[in-house]
Amino acid sequence: MVVYSFYIFDRHAECIYKRRWLPRPTSISGKASRPTSEIPSSSNGVPPVFGQSDRTTDDDAKLIFGTVFSLRNMVRKLGGEDDSFVSYNTSQYKLHYYETPTNIKFVMLTDVKSPSMRVALQQIYINLFVEYGVLDSYPR
Amino acid sequence: MSQHPRHSAMLSISTSNSNLANAGADKQQPSQNVSTPTQSSSPGLRVPSNRKTIYDRHLNRSRTAELSRASFAFLFSEMVTYAQRRVTGIQDLEKRLNEQGYPLGLRLLDLLFYRTMSSSTSSSLSSSSTSSSPPNRPLRILPLLHLIHGPLWRLLFQRSADALEHSVSPETPNEYMITDNDPLVNTYISVPREMSMLNCAAFVAGIIEGVCDGCGFEAKVSAHNQPTEMWPGRTVFLLRFGDSVMEREKVLERAGVR
Amino acid sequence: MSTTKASRIGEELWKTRVDKINAELVTLTYGTIVAQLCQDYDSDYNEVNKQLDKMGYNIGMRLIEDFLAKSNVGRCANFRETADMIAKVGFKIFLNISPTVTNWTSDNNQFSLIFEENPLADFVELPDDGRAQDELWFSNIFCGVLRGALEMVQMQIEAHFVSDVLRGDDTTEMRVSLVRYIEDEMPPEEE
Repeated sequence: MVVYSFYIFDRHAECIYKRRWLPRPTSISGKASRPTSEIPSSSNGVPPVFGQSDRTTDDDAKLIFGTVFSLRNMVRKLGGEDDSFVSYNTSQYKLHYYETPTNIKFVMLTDVKSPSMRVALQQIYINLFVEYGVLDSYPR
Repeated sequence: MSQHPRHSAMLSISTSNSNLANAGADKQQPSQNVSTPTQSSSPGLRVPSNRKTIYDRHLNRSRTAELSRASFAFLFSEMVTYAQRRVTGIQDLEKRLNEQGYPLGLRLLDLLFYRTMSSSTSSSLSSSSTSSSPPNRPLRILPLLHLIHGPLWRLLFQRSADALEHSVSPETPNEYMITDNDPLVNTYISVPREMSMLNCAAFVAGIIEGVCDGCGFEAKVSAHNQPTEMWPGRTVFLLRFGDSVMEREKVLERAGVR
Repeated sequence: MSTTKASRIGEELWKTRVDKINAELVTLTYGTIVAQLCQDYDSDYNEVNKQLDKMGYNIGMRLIEDFLAKSNVGRCANFRETADMIAKVGFKIFLNISPTVTNWTSDNNQFSLIFEENPLADFVELPDDGRAQDELWFSNIFCGVLRGALEMVQMQIEAHFVSDVLRGDDTTEMRVSLVRYIEDEMPPEEE
Protein backbone atom coordinates (compact mmCIF):
# COMPACT_ATOMS: atom_id res chain seq x y z
CA MET A 1 0.00 0.00 0.00
CA VAL A 2 1.20 3.48 -0.80
CA VAL A 3 0.32 6.66 1.04
CA TYR A 4 0.53 9.75 -1.13
CA SER A 5 -0.52 12.43 1.28
CA PHE A 6 -2.25 13.21 4.54
CA TYR A 7 -4.19 16.23 5.80
CA ILE A 8 -5.92 17.32 9.01
CA PHE A 9 -8.47 20.14 9.01
CA ASP A 10 -9.75 21.72 12.19
CA ARG A 11 -13.30 22.85 12.87
CA HIS A 12 -12.59 26.26 11.42
CA ALA A 13 -11.86 24.64 8.08
CA GLU A 14 -8.19 25.38 8.48
CA CYS A 15 -5.58 22.89 7.37
CA ILE A 16 -3.58 22.27 10.54
CA TYR A 17 -1.40 19.49 9.22
CA LYS A 18 -0.32 18.39 5.77
CA ARG A 19 2.26 16.01 4.51
CA ARG A 20 3.02 14.73 1.04
CA TRP A 21 5.21 11.79 0.27
CA LEU A 22 6.19 12.35 -3.29
CA PRO A 23 9.37 11.76 -5.12
CA ARG A 24 11.02 15.03 -5.92
CA PRO A 25 14.02 15.68 -8.12
CA THR A 26 16.14 15.93 -4.99
CA SER A 27 14.39 13.14 -3.25
CA ILE A 28 13.31 13.87 0.28
CA SER A 29 13.11 10.73 2.29
CA GLY A 30 9.61 9.92 3.41
CA LYS A 31 8.58 6.86 5.25
CA ALA A 32 6.36 5.75 2.42
CA SER A 33 8.18 6.79 -0.69
CA ARG A 34 6.31 5.49 -3.65
CA PRO A 35 7.67 2.52 -5.53
CA THR A 36 7.72 3.59 -9.14
CA SER A 37 6.58 0.23 -10.43
CA GLU A 38 3.04 0.83 -9.24
CA ILE A 39 2.51 4.04 -11.10
CA PRO A 40 0.18 3.89 -14.01
CA SER A 41 2.22 4.96 -16.98
CA SER A 42 -0.42 7.22 -18.37
CA SER A 43 -0.07 9.99 -15.86
CA ASN A 44 3.53 10.95 -16.10
CA GLY A 45 4.23 8.98 -12.96
CA VAL A 46 2.26 11.23 -10.72
CA PRO A 47 -1.48 11.07 -10.16
CA PRO A 48 -3.12 14.22 -11.50
CA VAL A 49 -4.41 15.33 -8.15
CA PHE A 50 -0.88 16.02 -6.99
CA GLY A 51 -0.42 18.20 -9.96
CA GLN A 52 2.95 18.85 -11.44
CA SER A 53 1.76 22.37 -12.06
CA ASP A 54 2.59 25.40 -9.98
CA ARG A 55 -0.14 24.61 -7.57
CA THR A 56 1.17 24.71 -4.04
CA THR A 57 0.33 22.35 -1.21
CA ASP A 58 -1.81 25.15 0.17
CA ASP A 59 -3.94 25.06 -2.94
CA ASP A 60 -4.13 21.28 -2.70
CA ALA A 61 -5.33 21.52 0.86
CA LYS A 62 -8.03 24.00 -0.14
CA LEU A 63 -9.15 21.84 -3.02
CA ILE A 64 -9.30 18.78 -0.84
CA PHE A 65 -11.20 20.56 1.90
CA GLY A 66 -13.74 21.84 -0.60
CA THR A 67 -14.16 18.38 -2.05
CA VAL A 68 -14.63 16.48 1.19
CA PHE A 69 -16.82 19.21 2.64
CA SER A 70 -19.18 19.09 -0.32
CA LEU A 71 -19.15 15.31 -0.49
CA ARG A 72 -19.92 14.84 3.15
CA ASN A 73 -22.79 17.33 2.90
CA MET A 74 -24.14 15.63 -0.18
CA VAL A 75 -23.87 12.22 1.50
CA ARG A 76 -25.86 13.47 4.46
CA LYS A 77 -28.49 14.99 2.24
CA LEU A 78 -28.97 11.79 0.30
CA GLY A 79 -28.39 9.17 2.98
CA GLY A 80 -29.62 10.99 6.06
CA GLU A 81 -27.77 12.67 8.95
CA ASP A 82 -26.24 9.42 10.13
CA ASP A 83 -24.72 8.52 6.81
CA SER A 84 -21.07 9.32 6.42
CA PHE A 85 -18.73 9.66 3.55
CA VAL A 86 -15.92 7.15 3.83
CA SER A 87 -13.82 7.22 0.67
CA TYR A 88 -13.82 7.70 -3.06
CA ASN A 89 -11.78 6.26 -5.86
CA THR A 90 -10.45 7.73 -9.01
CA SER A 91 -8.49 5.77 -11.55
CA GLN A 92 -5.32 7.15 -9.94
CA TYR A 93 -5.84 7.31 -6.23
CA LYS A 94 -8.20 6.65 -3.36
CA LEU A 95 -9.22 9.33 -0.87
CA HIS A 96 -10.02 8.17 2.65
CA TYR A 97 -12.02 10.35 5.00
CA TYR A 98 -12.75 10.37 8.71
CA GLU A 99 -14.51 13.15 10.57
CA THR A 100 -14.95 13.40 14.33
CA PRO A 101 -18.17 14.69 15.90
CA THR A 102 -16.17 17.85 16.66
CA ASN A 103 -15.71 18.39 12.92
CA ILE A 104 -12.04 17.59 12.78
CA LYS A 105 -11.39 16.09 9.39
CA PHE A 106 -8.72 13.54 8.56
CA VAL A 107 -7.94 12.91 4.89
CA MET A 108 -5.53 10.40 3.43
CA LEU A 109 -4.73 9.75 -0.22
CA THR A 110 -3.42 6.33 -1.12
CA ASP A 111 -3.06 4.13 -4.16
CA VAL A 112 -6.28 2.66 -5.52
CA LYS A 113 -5.66 -0.86 -4.24
CA SER A 114 -5.35 0.20 -0.63
CA PRO A 115 -7.85 -1.28 1.83
CA SER A 116 -10.06 1.02 3.88
CA MET A 117 -8.02 3.38 6.04
CA ARG A 118 -10.94 4.47 8.17
CA VAL A 119 -9.74 2.60 11.23
CA ALA A 120 -6.22 3.90 10.75
CA LEU A 121 -7.49 7.48 10.55
CA GLN A 122 -9.57 6.92 13.66
CA GLN A 123 -6.53 5.56 15.47
CA ILE A 124 -4.51 8.58 14.41
CA TYR A 125 -7.20 10.72 16.00
CA ILE A 126 -7.42 8.71 19.22
CA ASN A 127 -3.83 7.77 19.84
CA LEU A 128 -1.92 10.66 18.33
CA PHE A 129 -4.11 13.71 17.88
CA VAL A 130 -5.82 13.49 21.27
CA GLU A 131 -2.96 11.99 23.23
CA TYR A 132 -0.27 14.39 22.05
CA GLY A 133 -2.22 17.31 20.70
CA VAL A 134 -5.29 17.81 22.81
CA LEU A 135 -4.04 16.58 26.16
CA ASP A 136 -0.85 18.59 25.96
CA SER A 137 -1.53 20.88 28.85
CA TYR A 138 1.12 23.51 28.46
CA PRO A 139 -0.60 26.85 27.81
CA ARG A 140 -0.12 28.11 24.26
CA MET B 1 1.51 22.61 65.49
CA SER B 2 2.37 26.21 65.18
CA GLN B 3 0.70 28.44 62.71
CA HIS B 4 3.04 29.19 59.88
CA PRO B 5 2.54 32.68 58.49
CA ARG B 6 2.11 31.39 54.95
CA HIS B 7 -0.34 28.89 56.22
CA SER B 8 -2.86 31.49 57.15
CA ALA B 9 -2.06 33.63 54.16
CA MET B 10 -2.69 30.84 51.73
CA LEU B 11 -5.45 28.96 53.39
CA SER B 12 -7.80 31.37 54.77
CA ILE B 13 -9.71 33.50 52.43
CA SER B 14 -12.27 33.91 55.07
CA THR B 15 -11.90 36.70 57.53
CA SER B 16 -12.84 34.67 60.55
CA ASN B 17 -10.39 32.75 62.70
CA SER B 18 -8.36 30.28 60.74
CA ASN B 19 -7.42 27.84 63.38
CA LEU B 20 -7.26 25.02 60.94
CA ALA B 21 -4.57 22.63 61.90
CA ASN B 22 -5.45 21.39 65.31
CA ALA B 23 -2.48 19.07 65.30
CA GLY B 24 -4.55 16.30 63.83
CA ALA B 25 -4.92 14.87 67.28
CA ASP B 26 -8.65 15.16 67.58
CA LYS B 27 -11.08 14.01 64.98
CA GLN B 28 -11.29 17.34 63.30
CA GLN B 29 -11.41 17.17 59.56
CA PRO B 30 -8.55 18.79 57.78
CA SER B 31 -10.99 20.58 55.60
CA GLN B 32 -9.70 22.28 52.57
CA ASN B 33 -9.03 25.72 51.25
CA VAL B 34 -11.94 28.07 51.29
CA SER B 35 -12.88 27.14 54.78
CA THR B 36 -12.02 27.77 58.35
CA PRO B 37 -13.58 24.70 59.78
CA THR B 38 -13.58 25.07 63.48
CA GLN B 39 -16.72 23.55 64.83
CA SER B 40 -17.47 26.77 66.62
CA SER B 41 -17.65 28.75 63.41
CA SER B 42 -20.14 26.49 61.69
CA PRO B 43 -23.35 27.76 63.31
CA GLY B 44 -23.02 30.68 60.92
CA LEU B 45 -23.20 28.38 57.93
CA ARG B 46 -26.36 26.79 56.66
CA VAL B 47 -26.21 23.02 56.42
CA PRO B 48 -28.40 20.71 54.36
CA SER B 49 -31.14 18.95 56.31
CA ASN B 50 -29.68 15.60 55.29
CA ARG B 51 -26.48 16.68 57.06
CA LYS B 52 -24.27 16.07 54.08
CA THR B 53 -21.43 18.09 55.52
CA ILE B 54 -17.76 17.43 55.90
CA TYR B 55 -18.34 16.69 59.58
CA ASP B 56 -20.78 13.90 58.85
CA ARG B 57 -18.85 12.06 56.21
CA HIS B 58 -15.96 9.79 56.98
CA LEU B 59 -12.57 11.20 56.21
CA ASN B 60 -11.41 7.92 54.74
CA ARG B 61 -14.30 7.83 52.34
CA SER B 62 -12.14 9.08 49.49
CA ARG B 63 -9.06 7.19 50.57
CA THR B 64 -9.13 4.71 47.74
CA ALA B 65 -11.30 6.77 45.41
CA GLU B 66 -10.01 7.38 41.93
CA LEU B 67 -10.67 9.92 39.22
CA SER B 68 -9.41 10.09 35.69
CA ARG B 69 -5.91 11.28 35.13
CA ALA B 70 -7.19 13.46 32.32
CA SER B 71 -9.32 15.48 34.75
CA PHE B 72 -6.24 16.22 36.76
CA ALA B 73 -4.33 17.15 33.61
CA PHE B 74 -7.08 19.56 32.56
CA LEU B 75 -7.28 21.23 35.97
CA PHE B 76 -3.53 21.43 36.32
CA SER B 77 -3.24 22.94 32.88
CA GLU B 78 -5.79 25.61 33.75
CA MET B 79 -3.88 26.30 36.94
CA VAL B 80 -0.66 26.79 34.98
CA THR B 81 -2.40 28.91 32.36
CA TYR B 82 -3.99 31.10 34.97
CA ALA B 83 -0.76 31.47 36.89
CA GLN B 84 1.13 32.32 33.73
CA ARG B 85 -1.14 35.25 32.95
CA ARG B 86 -0.20 36.88 36.22
CA VAL B 87 3.54 36.46 36.30
CA THR B 88 6.65 37.66 34.58
CA GLY B 89 9.17 34.97 33.82
CA ILE B 90 9.82 31.40 34.71
CA GLN B 91 10.95 31.93 38.29
CA ASP B 92 7.85 33.88 39.08
CA LEU B 93 5.65 31.19 37.57
CA GLU B 94 7.40 28.46 39.53
CA LYS B 95 7.05 30.50 42.69
CA ARG B 96 3.35 30.82 42.12
CA LEU B 97 2.89 27.10 41.42
CA ASN B 98 4.90 26.38 44.54
CA GLU B 99 2.58 28.62 46.55
CA GLN B 100 -0.44 26.79 45.23
CA GLY B 101 1.00 23.45 46.26
CA TYR B 102 1.97 24.60 49.72
CA PRO B 103 -1.48 24.49 51.40
CA LEU B 104 -2.00 21.02 49.93
CA GLY B 105 1.10 19.83 51.73
CA LEU B 106 -0.21 21.08 55.07
CA ARG B 107 -3.51 19.25 54.61
CA LEU B 108 -2.03 16.09 53.22
CA LEU B 109 0.20 15.94 56.27
CA ASP B 110 -2.82 15.90 58.57
CA LEU B 111 -4.40 13.29 56.38
CA LEU B 112 -1.27 11.13 56.44
CA PHE B 113 -1.00 11.30 60.23
CA TYR B 114 -4.65 10.62 60.69
CA ARG B 115 -4.46 7.56 58.49
CA THR B 116 -1.22 6.10 59.71
CA MET B 117 -2.54 6.59 63.21
CA SER B 118 -5.90 4.98 62.70
CA SER B 119 -4.46 2.06 60.79
CA SER B 120 -1.68 1.26 63.25
CA THR B 121 -3.92 1.30 66.29
CA SER B 122 -7.47 0.52 65.51
CA SER B 123 -8.93 2.37 68.46
CA SER B 124 -6.34 5.03 69.00
CA LEU B 125 -8.98 7.69 69.33
CA SER B 126 -10.90 6.01 72.10
CA SER B 127 -10.40 7.51 75.50
CA SER B 128 -9.03 4.41 77.18
CA SER B 129 -6.22 3.71 74.80
CA THR B 130 -3.31 4.88 76.89
CA SER B 131 -1.06 2.27 75.36
CA SER B 132 -1.61 3.33 71.80
CA SER B 133 1.48 4.62 70.13
CA PRO B 134 1.49 8.33 69.37
CA PRO B 135 1.38 9.35 65.73
CA ASN B 136 4.88 9.06 64.48
CA ARG B 137 5.55 12.66 63.66
CA PRO B 138 9.10 12.85 62.43
CA LEU B 139 11.48 14.67 64.74
CA ARG B 140 14.59 14.27 62.66
CA ILE B 141 15.24 15.09 59.01
CA LEU B 142 15.68 11.52 57.83
CA PRO B 143 12.32 10.17 59.02
CA LEU B 144 10.70 13.25 57.51
CA LEU B 145 12.33 12.56 54.18
CA HIS B 146 11.20 8.94 54.32
CA LEU B 147 7.68 10.11 55.05
CA ILE B 148 7.79 12.22 51.88
CA HIS B 149 9.58 9.69 49.72
CA GLY B 150 7.25 6.87 50.77
CA PRO B 151 3.79 7.52 52.24
CA LEU B 152 3.26 11.00 50.77
CA TRP B 153 4.30 9.92 47.29
CA ARG B 154 2.13 6.81 47.54
CA LEU B 155 -0.86 8.83 48.64
CA LEU B 156 -0.46 11.22 45.74
CA PHE B 157 0.96 9.09 42.98
CA GLN B 158 0.41 5.46 44.02
CA ARG B 159 4.11 4.74 44.14
CA SER B 160 7.21 5.77 46.06
CA ALA B 161 9.62 8.37 44.75
CA ASP B 162 12.61 6.98 42.89
CA ALA B 163 15.55 8.22 44.94
CA LEU B 164 16.51 10.02 48.08
CA GLU B 165 19.94 11.55 48.44
CA HIS B 166 21.94 13.80 50.71
CA SER B 167 24.14 16.51 49.29
CA VAL B 168 27.73 15.28 49.07
CA SER B 169 29.13 18.78 49.31
CA PRO B 170 30.43 19.74 52.77
CA GLU B 171 29.28 23.28 51.97
CA THR B 172 25.65 22.29 51.88
CA PRO B 173 24.87 19.67 54.49
CA ASN B 174 21.34 21.08 54.67
CA GLU B 175 20.50 19.99 51.11
CA TYR B 176 18.63 16.82 50.23
CA MET B 177 17.31 15.55 46.93
CA ILE B 178 14.21 13.52 46.17
CA THR B 179 14.01 12.24 42.61
CA ASP B 180 10.99 11.33 40.55
CA ASN B 181 11.90 9.78 37.20
CA ASP B 182 8.60 10.65 35.60
CA PRO B 183 6.47 13.10 37.60
CA LEU B 184 2.80 12.40 37.12
CA VAL B 185 1.89 16.08 37.15
CA ASN B 186 4.03 16.61 34.06
CA THR B 187 2.53 13.74 32.08
CA TYR B 188 0.62 16.01 29.76
CA ILE B 189 2.84 19.07 29.98
CA SER B 190 5.20 19.66 27.10
CA VAL B 191 7.10 22.81 27.79
CA PRO B 192 8.27 24.76 24.73
CA ARG B 193 11.97 24.70 24.08
CA GLU B 194 12.54 28.33 24.95
CA MET B 195 11.09 27.63 28.39
CA SER B 196 13.18 24.52 28.98
CA MET B 197 14.15 25.68 32.45
CA LEU B 198 10.56 25.58 33.60
CA ASN B 199 9.38 22.62 35.57
CA CYS B 200 5.70 22.64 36.48
CA ALA B 201 6.39 20.10 39.19
CA ALA B 202 7.14 23.27 41.18
CA PHE B 203 3.59 22.59 42.32
CA VAL B 204 4.76 19.33 43.91
CA ALA B 205 7.75 21.16 45.38
CA GLY B 206 5.22 23.40 47.09
CA ILE B 207 3.40 20.37 48.45
CA ILE B 208 6.66 19.05 49.89
CA GLU B 209 7.40 22.43 51.39
CA GLY B 210 3.99 22.42 53.05
CA VAL B 211 4.63 19.00 54.53
CA CYS B 212 8.04 20.07 55.86
CA ASP B 213 6.70 23.28 57.36
CA GLY B 214 3.74 21.47 58.81
CA CYS B 215 6.12 19.14 60.62
CA GLY B 216 8.12 22.06 61.93
CA PHE B 217 10.98 21.76 59.45
CA GLU B 218 11.46 25.11 57.82
CA ALA B 219 12.59 24.43 54.26
CA LYS B 220 12.75 25.76 50.72
CA VAL B 221 11.92 23.22 48.05
CA SER B 222 12.39 23.59 44.31
CA ALA B 223 11.95 21.34 41.26
CA HIS B 224 14.70 20.91 38.68
CA ASN B 225 14.90 19.16 35.33
CA GLN B 226 17.58 16.48 35.34
CA PRO B 227 16.77 14.44 32.26
CA THR B 228 18.54 11.22 31.46
CA GLU B 229 18.36 9.28 28.24
CA MET B 230 15.95 6.83 29.76
CA TRP B 231 13.94 9.39 31.75
CA PRO B 232 13.53 12.61 29.77
CA GLY B 233 11.18 14.02 32.40
CA ARG B 234 13.34 13.17 35.40
CA THR B 235 12.87 15.76 38.11
CA VAL B 236 14.92 16.40 41.21
CA PHE B 237 13.27 18.10 44.16
CA LEU B 238 15.89 20.01 46.08
CA LEU B 239 15.09 20.48 49.77
CA ARG B 240 17.11 23.11 51.62
CA PHE B 241 16.48 23.11 55.33
CA GLY B 242 16.82 26.29 57.35
CA ASP B 243 19.54 26.98 59.92
CA SER B 244 17.21 26.48 62.86
CA VAL B 245 16.43 22.98 61.63
CA MET B 246 20.10 22.14 61.27
CA GLU B 247 20.83 23.48 64.77
CA ARG B 248 18.05 21.37 66.21
CA GLU B 249 19.35 18.30 64.38
CA LYS B 250 22.64 18.64 66.24
CA VAL B 251 20.90 18.91 69.61
CA LEU B 252 18.66 15.94 68.90
CA GLU B 253 21.61 13.95 67.63
CA ARG B 254 23.42 14.50 70.94
CA ALA B 255 20.26 13.64 72.86
CA GLY B 256 20.02 10.38 70.97
CA VAL B 257 16.65 11.16 69.42
CA ARG B 258 16.03 9.37 66.18
CA MET C 1 -29.74 5.10 22.95
CA SER C 2 -31.32 4.36 26.32
CA THR C 3 -30.15 5.63 29.69
CA THR C 4 -29.24 2.14 30.82
CA LYS C 5 -27.17 1.55 27.72
CA ALA C 6 -25.35 4.83 28.31
CA SER C 7 -24.72 3.77 31.91
CA ARG C 8 -23.29 0.47 30.73
CA ILE C 9 -20.98 2.18 28.29
CA GLY C 10 -19.84 4.56 31.02
CA GLU C 11 -19.13 1.75 33.47
CA GLU C 12 -17.27 -0.25 30.87
CA LEU C 13 -15.13 2.68 29.76
CA TRP C 14 -14.31 3.63 33.33
CA LYS C 15 -13.11 0.09 33.99
CA THR C 16 -11.15 -0.45 30.82
CA ARG C 17 -10.12 2.74 29.10
CA VAL C 18 -9.46 5.35 31.76
CA ASP C 19 -6.05 6.10 33.28
CA LYS C 20 -6.71 6.76 36.93
CA ILE C 21 -5.27 8.94 39.62
CA ASN C 22 -5.83 9.38 43.33
CA ALA C 23 -9.05 11.33 43.75
CA GLU C 24 -7.79 13.40 46.65
CA LEU C 25 -5.02 14.93 44.54
CA VAL C 26 -7.62 16.16 42.07
CA THR C 27 -10.00 17.33 44.78
CA LEU C 28 -7.34 19.26 46.63
CA THR C 29 -5.91 20.70 43.45
CA TYR C 30 -9.31 22.04 42.47
CA GLY C 31 -9.60 23.43 45.99
CA THR C 32 -6.40 25.42 45.64
CA ILE C 33 -7.59 26.78 42.31
CA VAL C 34 -10.80 28.11 43.84
CA ALA C 35 -8.95 29.41 46.90
CA GLN C 36 -6.46 31.19 44.67
CA LEU C 37 -9.26 32.83 42.69
CA CYS C 38 -11.02 33.94 45.86
CA GLN C 39 -7.78 35.48 47.02
CA ASP C 40 -6.94 37.14 43.70
CA TYR C 41 -10.43 38.58 43.31
CA ASP C 42 -10.73 39.71 46.93
CA SER C 43 -13.64 37.37 47.57
CA ASP C 44 -15.69 38.92 44.78
CA TYR C 45 -17.56 35.65 44.37
CA ASN C 46 -19.45 36.67 41.26
CA GLU C 47 -16.13 37.23 39.56
CA VAL C 48 -14.83 33.90 40.92
CA ASN C 49 -17.88 32.16 39.44
CA LYS C 50 -17.11 33.81 36.12
CA GLN C 51 -13.46 32.78 36.19
CA LEU C 52 -14.35 29.19 37.06
CA ASP C 53 -16.81 29.10 34.20
CA LYS C 54 -14.15 30.43 31.85
CA MET C 55 -11.62 27.82 32.96
CA GLY C 56 -14.26 25.17 32.50
CA TYR C 57 -14.97 26.41 29.00
CA ASN C 58 -11.30 26.07 28.06
CA ILE C 59 -11.25 22.60 29.53
CA GLY C 60 -14.49 21.58 27.84
CA MET C 61 -13.23 22.48 24.39
CA ARG C 62 -10.37 20.00 24.80
CA LEU C 63 -12.06 17.48 27.05
CA ILE C 64 -14.64 16.68 24.37
CA GLU C 65 -11.90 15.29 22.14
CA ASP C 66 -10.66 13.03 24.90
CA PHE C 67 -14.23 12.01 25.57
CA LEU C 68 -14.85 11.11 21.93
CA ALA C 69 -11.54 9.33 21.59
CA LYS C 70 -12.22 7.18 24.63
CA SER C 71 -15.91 6.55 24.11
CA ASN C 72 -15.93 6.27 20.35
CA VAL C 73 -19.58 7.29 20.32
CA GLY C 74 -21.09 9.09 17.40
CA ARG C 75 -23.38 12.05 17.18
CA CYS C 76 -26.38 12.04 19.54
CA ALA C 77 -29.79 11.77 17.90
CA ASN C 78 -31.40 14.37 20.16
CA PHE C 79 -30.87 16.49 23.25
CA ARG C 80 -32.25 13.80 25.56
CA GLU C 81 -29.60 11.42 24.36
CA THR C 82 -27.00 14.15 24.82
CA ALA C 83 -28.09 14.56 28.44
CA ASP C 84 -27.62 10.84 29.12
CA MET C 85 -24.27 10.90 27.38
CA ILE C 86 -23.11 13.75 29.61
CA ALA C 87 -24.40 12.25 32.84
CA LYS C 88 -23.72 8.56 32.37
CA VAL C 89 -20.64 8.54 30.16
CA GLY C 90 -19.00 11.98 30.45
CA PHE C 91 -19.16 12.49 34.20
CA LYS C 92 -18.46 8.80 34.67
CA ILE C 93 -15.22 8.62 32.77
CA PHE C 94 -13.79 11.87 34.11
CA LEU C 95 -15.06 11.96 37.68
CA ASN C 96 -16.47 8.48 38.29
CA ILE C 97 -19.92 9.83 39.12
CA SER C 98 -23.26 9.60 37.33
CA PRO C 99 -25.52 12.52 38.16
CA THR C 100 -29.24 12.01 37.66
CA VAL C 101 -30.93 13.55 34.63
CA THR C 102 -34.33 14.93 35.50
CA ASN C 103 -36.80 17.85 35.40
CA TRP C 104 -37.16 17.98 31.62
CA THR C 105 -39.23 20.75 30.14
CA SER C 106 -41.95 19.62 27.77
CA ASP C 107 -40.05 20.84 24.71
CA ASN C 108 -37.10 18.61 25.69
CA ASN C 109 -34.75 21.57 25.64
CA GLN C 110 -33.98 21.90 29.35
CA PHE C 111 -33.00 19.42 32.02
CA SER C 112 -31.38 19.24 35.43
CA LEU C 113 -28.39 17.27 36.61
CA ILE C 114 -28.66 16.26 40.26
CA PHE C 115 -25.34 15.43 41.86
CA GLU C 116 -25.50 12.88 44.65
CA GLU C 117 -21.73 12.88 44.78
CA ASN C 118 -19.31 15.59 43.80
CA PRO C 119 -15.65 14.75 44.17
CA LEU C 120 -14.63 18.35 43.56
CA ALA C 121 -16.47 19.40 46.72
CA ASP C 122 -15.19 16.67 49.02
CA PHE C 123 -13.60 18.19 52.17
CA VAL C 124 -15.08 21.58 51.34
CA GLU C 125 -16.78 24.07 53.53
CA LEU C 126 -17.46 27.55 52.19
CA PRO C 127 -16.11 30.58 54.07
CA ASP C 128 -18.33 31.70 56.88
CA ASP C 129 -18.37 35.33 55.83
CA GLY C 130 -22.09 35.74 55.35
CA ARG C 131 -21.70 36.01 51.57
CA ALA C 132 -20.05 32.90 50.15
CA GLN C 133 -23.07 30.70 50.77
CA ASP C 134 -25.22 33.17 48.84
CA GLU C 135 -22.83 34.06 46.05
CA LEU C 136 -20.19 31.42 45.36
CA TRP C 137 -20.94 28.40 43.17
CA PHE C 138 -18.02 26.26 44.19
CA SER C 139 -18.33 23.77 41.33
CA ASN C 140 -19.10 26.37 38.67
CA ILE C 141 -16.29 24.99 36.53
CA PHE C 142 -18.73 22.22 35.50
CA CYS C 143 -20.97 24.75 33.75
CA GLY C 144 -18.09 25.97 31.63
CA VAL C 145 -16.96 22.44 30.83
CA LEU C 146 -20.39 21.53 29.48
CA ARG C 147 -20.64 24.76 27.53
CA GLY C 148 -17.22 24.32 25.93
CA ALA C 149 -17.61 20.63 25.22
CA LEU C 150 -21.05 20.89 23.66
CA GLU C 151 -20.11 23.90 21.57
CA MET C 152 -17.51 21.69 19.90
CA VAL C 153 -20.23 19.27 18.88
CA GLN C 154 -22.41 22.03 17.47
CA MET C 155 -24.63 22.73 20.44
CA GLN C 156 -24.88 26.09 22.10
CA ILE C 157 -26.09 25.63 25.64
CA GLU C 158 -26.50 27.59 28.83
CA ALA C 159 -25.75 26.01 32.19
CA HIS C 160 -25.93 27.22 35.77
CA PHE C 161 -26.27 25.85 39.25
CA VAL C 162 -29.56 26.34 41.05
CA SER C 163 -28.64 24.67 44.34
CA ASP C 164 -25.62 23.26 46.14
CA VAL C 165 -25.28 21.29 49.36
CA LEU C 166 -22.32 23.51 50.19
CA ARG C 167 -24.81 26.37 50.42
CA GLY C 168 -26.98 24.42 52.79
CA ASP C 169 -29.36 23.18 50.08
CA ASP C 170 -30.51 19.58 50.21
CA THR C 171 -29.38 18.83 46.69
CA THR C 172 -26.78 19.97 44.23
CA GLU C 173 -28.53 20.76 40.99
CA MET C 174 -27.40 22.19 37.68
CA ARG C 175 -29.79 23.45 35.03
CA VAL C 176 -28.84 22.95 31.38
CA SER C 177 -30.66 24.54 28.44
CA LEU C 178 -30.18 24.04 24.74
CA VAL C 179 -29.98 27.40 23.02
CA ARG C 180 -29.49 26.25 19.43
CA TYR C 181 -27.64 23.89 17.17
CA ILE C 182 -24.67 25.56 15.53
CA GLU C 183 -24.09 25.44 11.77
CA ASP C 184 -20.85 24.05 10.42
CA GLU C 185 -18.19 26.58 9.81
CA MET C 186 -17.63 27.17 6.13
CA PRO C 187 -14.21 27.56 4.64
CA PRO C 188 -13.28 31.20 4.15
CA GLU C 189 -14.30 32.57 0.75
CA GLU C 190 -11.67 32.51 -1.91
CA GLU C 191 -10.28 35.90 -2.67
